[in-house]
Amino acid sequence: MFDWLANPNRFNRITRKLQPFILFIAIITLISGLYFGLYDSPKDYQQGDAVRIMYVHVPSAWLASFLYFSLAISCVFYLVWKHPLADLVSSSIAPIGALFSALTLITGSLWGKPMWGTWWVWDARLTSMLVLFFFYLGYILLSNAFERKIDGSKTASVLAIVGLINLPIVKFSVDWWNTLHQPASIIKIGGPSIDDKMLLPLILMFFALSFFSLYLIILNVKTKMIEKKCEALLLKSNLEEIS
Amino acid sequence: MPLESNLIQIFFSHIKREFLINFRSLIDVISIISFMILIVTLFVLGIGPFEEKLKFVSNAIFWIGLILAIIPSLEKTLQRDYDDGWLDQTITSPLPLEFILLSKSIAYWLIIIVPLLISFPFFVILLNISFKLIPWLFISIIIGGLSISLIGIIGSALTLGAKRGNILLPILIIPLIIPILVFGIGISETITINESPKGNLFLLIGFTLIYLVISPFISALLIRIAVSR
Repeated sequence: MFDWLANPNRFNRITRKLQPFILFIAIITLISGLYFGLYDSPKDYQQGDAVRIMYVHVPSAWLASFLYFSLAISCVFYLVWKHPLADLVSSSIAPIGALFSALTLITGSLWGKPMWGTWWVWDARLTSMLVLFFFYLGYILLSNAFERKIDGSKTASVLAIVGLINLPIVKFSVDWWNTLHQPASIIKIGGPSIDDKMLLPLILMFFALSFFSLYLIILNVKTKMIEKKCEALLLKSNLEEIS
Repeated sequence: MPLESNLIQIFFSHIKREFLINFRSLIDVISIISFMILIVTLFVLGIGPFEEKLKFVSNAIFWIGLILAIIPSLEKTLQRDYDDGWLDQTITSPLPLEFILLSKSIAYWLIIIVPLLISFPFFVILLNISFKLIPWLFISIIIGGLSISLIGIIGSALTLGAKRGNILLPILIIPLIIPILVFGIGISETITINESPKGNLFLLIGFTLIYLVISPFISALLIRIAVSR
């Protein structure tokens, strides 16, 4: 089944048809999500208008963790079946995932300033998101650290899989550490139950950001494929010149 | 001769080899100890000589000093064998590479543990570590040292042949060893508030066991990738 999907030409053909739809869905959900989120949703009774940061913050946090998971999965595919397309997919996911985790940290500290009075709190969630960002960074740095691209992507794939094993442990240990120091958690987004009027834009924004990142990933993969094709053509013309 | 006794012999001969290489010159041992003492000194200079403040952070200083002292020596553990062709020889030998890497990481653990245990009394005095904490700290260094060296072998294999590997290695390793720091400090903290440290100790042991299982396989995979290029 994955062989069928992993054919570059077929990938090109399918994504060419799918891309406009994906972009369309992303734009529609983004506009409606922003409308509901910024205009047609109630203020939080404690946080006021600042709660609207949540509609960017929470979906990007979800996406940052989900993209790391998919990065590691595609690394498994690359290492086991050695398909070059899987490597292109994982190397295109990495910068976008890093971007989303950075976005989560930035919006989080923008939200933290009016709510908690500081830009940064050493809370369990913030710390584990920071660690996730460094996992992305490690992947990107390692995959560019070798003379040949293929060595970097193989080694970095192993790192991503180790990270997948280690991230739940880090998350758990940071939670453990935090409960050791301060029993009451600070973050309670809208309390345990969330109002429907707030849930709707949250879900819309989640779909918007995930479809937009899917669109970006496909675009990234296509660019990398064209790059590879150019390199191959260049090599071929050099060979012909020599012979 | 049955294979099992052969494997045990090989295991010990590898550990002996590593010891001979690392302890032939005492400079490595002295440099690990003095590096750690200097890190502790820097921390104390940064915090100030107030005993109340130091009491709160002495455990943290000790653990961070331990981790920072180990990291610089990690880079050359596999790089040296990679450069002189020992790893190529090992891959072509019929012995499983995973087994050799397991013995290598255990040897590395003993090599870093010995200087730290020698210098342990200094740190007890320097950091005013309380008396009831000493046996627990001792156990947690031994177990934590094993997991640091298991992860360190992975990190060392990751940066084999990489450009700027010495800078890259800490960036890759430190996120992976956060749990060791957390559980290790947890042990000391629970002791200072007179609670049972068993929860943290078991978590540390569990974490170490996970890496004892997966680390040889992952680093063998990485070394095969590195040697094949």
